[in-house]
Amino acid sequence: MTKKHWIFVCLFGAAFAGCEPSNKSTPNSTGSGTAGTSSAKPATFTLAWSEYPSWSVFGVADEIGLLNKEAGKLGELEKKWNVDIVLKGVDYDTCLQMYGSNTADAVCITNMDTLGPATDRASVAILPTSTSVGADACIAVGVNDLEGLKGKTTRGLERSVSQYAFERILIKKGLNPKDYPFSNMDPGAAASALQTGDSNVQSIMVWNPFVMQTLRDQPKSKKLFDSSEIPEEIIDMVVVGKDSLAKEGGKAFASCIVETFYAINQRMADPKTADKTLVAIGANFSSLGLEDMKQVVQQTRFYKSPEEALKLLSSEEFRTKTMPAVAEFCVEHKIVEKKPSIGFDSADSQVNFDTSFLQAATSGK
Amino acid sequence: MIRRPIPRWLVVLLGILGVFSLLAVYGGLSYRQSLVNEKQKVIPGLQAFGDGVTRMTAPQGSEETPKPSMLVTDLRATYWRLFLGTGLGVVLSVVVGIAMGAYRWIAAPLAPIISFLAKIPPTAMLPIYFVLVGSDQTMFTTMVALGIFFTMAQSVYQSIVNDVKDEAIDKAYTLGASDPEIVYEVIWKQVLPPILDNIRLQIGPAMIFLLAAEMLVGAEGMGYRIRMESRVLNMSIVYIYLCILGFTGLIGDWCLLWLRKKLCPWYDR
Repeated sequence: MTKKHWIFVCLFGAAFAGCEPSNKSTPNSTGSGTAGTSSAKPATFTLAWSEYPSWSVFGVADEIGLLNKEAGKLGELEKKWNVDIVLKGVDYDTCLQMYGSNTADAVCITNMDTLGPATDRASVAILPTSTSVGADACIAVGVNDLEGLKGKTTRGLERSVSQYAFERILIKKGLNPKDYPFSNMDPGAAASALQTGDSNVQSIMVWNPFVMQTLRDQPKSKKLFDSSEIPEEIIDMVVVGKDSLAKEGGKAFASCIVETFYAINQRMADPKTADKTLVAIGANFSSLGLEDMKQVVQQTRFYKSPEEALKLLSSEEFRTKTMPAVAEFCVEHKIVEKKPSIGFDSADSQVNFDTSFLQAATSGK
Repeated sequence: MIRRPIPRWLVVLLGILGVFSLLAVYGGLSYRQSLVNEKQKVIPGLQAFGDGVTRMTAPQGSEETPKPSMLVTDLRATYWRLFLGTGLGVVLSVVVGIAMGAYRWIAAPLAPIISFLAKIPPTAMLPIYFVLVGSDQTMFTTMVALGIFFTMAQSVYQSIVNDVKDEAIDKAYTLGASDPEIVYEVIWKQVLPPILDNIRLQIGPAMIFLLAAEMLVGAEGMGYRIRMESRVLNMSIVYIYLCILGFTGLIGDWCLLWLRKKLCPWYDR
């Protein structure tokens, strides 16, 4: 036993101590820090998005220069609002994790999946982007109707909008979801299982692009029902953490996202740029072509203007029936332990549907 | 000085220090994340782990039809799949590997195919498995078995080629041994230790293949639970599951080392 051993022990300790400062810098370097302060340098905010028709819009916004996805570089609208938006295009599950772990300031997420993270991170829904009107469907092979489906297991992602839509539609048809077992499988895997003719998988509940793909690539498949029976119940939206929104530049960040979304929607409405924009969105959504995308936007109906979005958020149906039903489903399926409080323009709610940014966008015209 | 021996007590002390440092780093990270969001579940503290344990050990199902807890269901599913898959893979690869090592006419057609397929991760061929074996229990077993089969058959074959000398076989023939006797007495006894070492090396990949498959198609099992719970950021449950997996690997490793010492005491000499 000599001094050298102790040197080794010290080095060992120092190596761990050395980890601390470098770890500490991580939140800042990921862009959620408050580094902006009062200098002219714009504050940095992160938006996590995954490939979905009304969210791939942000990928397109980066391509045409409205936003710049990289930190330190500004697109046209970022300059206007003096905010630096970092776009993270990742998997949907990763989006949820990034948002829940405060690694992302804002996230593209469905109304249902918002409730989980919101119990730990108060959330503000600033922008409903689209609703599923057929984009989620139950497809079967060798089963022709709901009577035949009884007792047969449907595969799809558990505790997701798939299972929500599956049970909601059955209830709406006056059937008991207990008679229709639902078992977990990744939507992509479920679609390929049905397409390859796996005898264990006769029925699946998936979302687009898997709905379209499966119906096309498995000639024996039949759509039993889809989310057009529950329009405006599955809402795709952009949600910002209340903490992030309160940071300096947070409001500019939210406004910039809202304006970006409607700017792309205008390009989709303008006959001159419509097809081109749709193709660009398709390139950011499972590499779908123009014809497919035309069908996709039928099934995933965009809220094309702030007025349409406000109409949804002010509707009694959505406020007093849909959201409570969604919360009920989340508790029943143990997605959340306790229902988060849901409010409309009420700052104290854990999930707050804030219409101020939409209203500002209407008056801005 | 490089490789100078250190006393036993220092080895133990440093080992314990390592574990404590790991815990300390975790505690620090957990605290730091709590400053970002006091209700965070990403790097949970002790309290949250307690809740996680309560949740995963609570019995499921209704009163009339009680079901075992999450943990029991998942462990049962995963270990059974892992056991069946690894067992099948090991047996198959040992048989094929030895056959290849013993007979050139078996090795000639198989060696190139096996070394090609050994490089392909089985999880990347999910649709092929659906076609071949469906998506239930058989698929998990097949995926684990084939996942380790190719790599292991190749290394069993290689170790026979490298370790079993022609002279040994010639001597055995001279002494009047039959083919089966040579396979058992000469080849098998020499390659048993490397086989056991190989199984140890395959525990990791086997678990990776199984978990990846469970994350995609499982309706129960550890991979399924890890995906479901990390989706809603119940990391307390996820980390406990990861610890269980870690210990599974560790214990498997120790068992095989012990087995090798028992079965082939000459090998370490």
